[in-house]
Amino acid sequence: MKVLALILAGGRVDELDVLTFYRPKSVLPFGGVYRIIDFPMSNLMNSGIETVGILSQYRPRHLISHIANGEPWDMVGRNRFAVILPPYKGREASDWYKGTADAVCQNLDFIRMYDPDLVLIISGDHIYRMDYQELIAFHLEKKADVTIGFTRLPKEGAHRFGQAEIGGRDRRGGKVTQYLEKPRKSVLDWASLTIYLFRPSVLYEALEANAPRDSHEFGKDIVPALLANCQVYGFKHSGYWGYTRSLEEYWQTNMDLLGKYPRIDPALWRVRTNLAHRNIRDRRPAVIGPSARVEDSLFYSGCTIHGTVVRSVLFPGVTVEHGAEVKDSILFFDTVVQREARIVRAIADIEACIGPVARIGHDARSPLTVVGTRSSVPEGTVLHPGVVVHPNLDASHFTKQMYDAGEVIR
Amino acid sequence: MRRVAAILLAGGVGTRLNILVRHRAKPAVPFGGMYRIIDFTLSNIANCGLPRVAILTQYKPLSLMDHVADGSAWDLSGRTRAVKILPPKTGEKDWDWYRGTADAVRQNLDFVTNGDYSEVLIVSGDHVYCMDYGPLIQFHRENRAHVTICMLPVPWEETDQFGIGIVDEKSRIIAWEEKPKKARSNLASMGVYVFNRDYLLRTLHETKDEDFGHHIIPKALQEARVFAYAFHGYWRGVGTIQAYWDANMDLLDPASALMPCLPNVKTNLVTENLQYDRPPSKILARAHIVNSLVSPDCLIMGRVENSVLSPGVVVEKDAFVKDSIIMHDSIIRAGAQVECCIIDKEVSIGRKAVVGVGDASVVNSAYPTHVHSGLTLIGKRAKIPTKMHVGNNCIIFSEAQEKDFHGRVLPDGQTVEK
Repeated sequence: MKVLALILAGGRVDELDVLTFYRPKSVLPFGGVYRIIDFPMSNLMNSGIETVGILSQYRPRHLISHIANGEPWDMVGRNRFAVILPPYKGREASDWYKGTADAVCQNLDFIRMYDPDLVLIISGDHIYRMDYQELIAFHLEKKADVTIGFTRLPKEGAHRFGQAEIGGRDRRGGKVTQYLEKPRKSVLDWASLTIYLFRPSVLYEALEANAPRDSHEFGKDIVPALLANCQVYGFKHSGYWGYTRSLEEYWQTNMDLLGKYPRIDPALWRVRTNLAHRNIRDRRPAVIGPSARVEDSLFYSGCTIHGTVVRSVLFPGVTVEHGAEVKDSILFFDTVVQREARIVRAIADIEACIGPVARIGHDARSPLTVVGTRSSVPEGTVLHPGVVVHPNLDASHFTKQMYDAGEVIR
Repeated sequence: MRRVAAILLAGGVGTRLNILVRHRAKPAVPFGGMYRIIDFTLSNIANCGLPRVAILTQYKPLSLMDHVADGSAWDLSGRTRAVKILPPKTGEKDWDWYRGTADAVRQNLDFVTNGDYSEVLIVSGDHVYCMDYGPLIQFHRENRAHVTICMLPVPWEETDQFGIGIVDEKSRIIAWEEKPKKARSNLASMGVYVFNRDYLLRTLHETKDEDFGHHIIPKALQEARVFAYAFHGYWRGVGTIQAYWDANMDLLDPASALMPCLPNVKTNLVTENLQYDRPPSKILARAHIVNSLVSPDCLIMGRVENSVLSPGVVVEKDAFVKDSIIMHDSIIRAGAQVECCIIDKEVSIGRKAVVGVGDASVVNSAYPTHVHSGLTLIGKRAKIPTKMHVGNNCIIFSEAQEKDFHGRVLPDGQTVEK
């Protein structure tokens, strides 16, 4: 059985704002050492699917360094590959990807060249564990044309999902009897996970039929069209599904790693990442200083902790200086929290610096504060909850000592 | 630097490290949480741009070979870069075990003659230090030396452990004393030699001498230009249990010169045969950890003080670890107490066991020269039973199980063999 996987990894998400200024969401750091795409990549590896095309277009540099030659997921060899498929300029026009379906359509030659028995199309920005072989077995058993992964519709934010009704009595799933793309409120029981398993001929026909139209999205255009004249099945996923589409969801999904019995267990899930990216592998063990206090937190090599860290996730190379306090926060690679600074409910992007005695956020219920990559919050500055600091700012961009909730510093 | 061939002597047995070297060569002994001792020398070689290194092994080389692999962890792989692991028995005779450091090099001279080299750097793989060999090579060339020996001032009371050089005002070595009872100088050899390639080839061809320190260097003093290059940075031989523990503990001392070295040291993380990458370390609520070095994938639920933890160490609730070195994937069960211990990989310390607590003045009776300074050693995959009390200066051999312990108390200085 030749299965070709395609990962849609090119998108950025408006709600994540400064965190996706310079990177697609799929390479957003997650969980203390990973990138979000590590989860689908590891799922593929653990499912024995080792032929992968990754569709990217938004600022792909970090994605390219992260995927490298696929070696971190063992996807190198004579019959194994993980290749990035960027958009390219066509003979007739600039063929920038005009939607998820268009992205796949423009790479039909790549798919046909590999000539797979099945095409698995997944998103690069979800945190979950799935053995795709179960999905494949279900698909083959049902003789389906298309099988779509679903999970029970969450109560909040239901309007963001494609929703379906799944018939039959098989607990694994059944025929999709109804499908609505992102309706205003929750109408149907099952939410699409944007996991599509296609019989290749069905995929080719659907994409070619869609090509002349104005809109090219799998959820909005392809699935409703297929429902009319194909065997479309829904496969029910019952495990953890981490949403990361808003800051709040992204924060919560990170916090799901904490505790003795976490909802996300990367060792149990056998997650791999690229340890060469940002030189994770060459960093020394973490130093926990004599005056440190660390509780209910994650940290990695290269960290140096002299202050207090509570309920937080620290990526490699984070420094928390003497007297500083970090609570309910996520600090990306090489962030520095200088002496006696205090941050609560904040997300600091790569190489951010929080100056001495600065105050960020307020308490455990206030909105999240975000500091963009390589920005330095000056000494003594106070950022109330919900402030957004754009990337690459230094002291000269901060014109006052205190910023109110919701202000954006750019 | 491309004209310098590097030879790394990694054959040392390191007997005094006792159970730490029962299943591995000394250079492969884990160090500083994530490293092995050889990482320091290999990183030194890679960092100063030496493209090719031969590693001479002999004693239990398997974990060493796994660790070095193709050298890519140190960026020593590519079209012009290489690590060659040279086991013995490459000579013409049927049974050519190395008889000494010089003999080991003699049996692998092909490595030197097969390239266009002007000098040969010979280093030992069992010291902890960071050094740029570039200025050393330059010093050697400027002095038109045949041999340059790296020397380090050591405390006078330790001079009997080293090769000691007496130098003139131009740094030329005029006399040599191998491990003298009463030394005339405190300049000690670090086991780092630069040889003029042609001089080395001629000497090794002409003689059958077996050891650099005992034979080759004294002979060179008679007939050639031998210089001392002074090194002033951090350097530790980690040949004894106490020295090994001290060097690890230097990593917890902000004043020690070892910590600033670490960013330059690279290791190979991918040899553990794990199906996943080590996740971040996790500290639970109400756990307590201070002044420690913590590698990824540790889970801390109890108390840890002044300790060095390798990847995958678990310290359960109400367990207490102090002044100890704990290697990969060892688990300290709930309520256990561990003090002044060196715990090898995959050890289990049973619930409410007390290990390493007792009278430090009672030396180990089976190995009094190895374990006498108040440290307790626990071998790889040993299982310390629940509520067991293991005293000070004890040794538990690897793979020891519950049935190997007689009673609930192992007095100070006792050994559980396996």
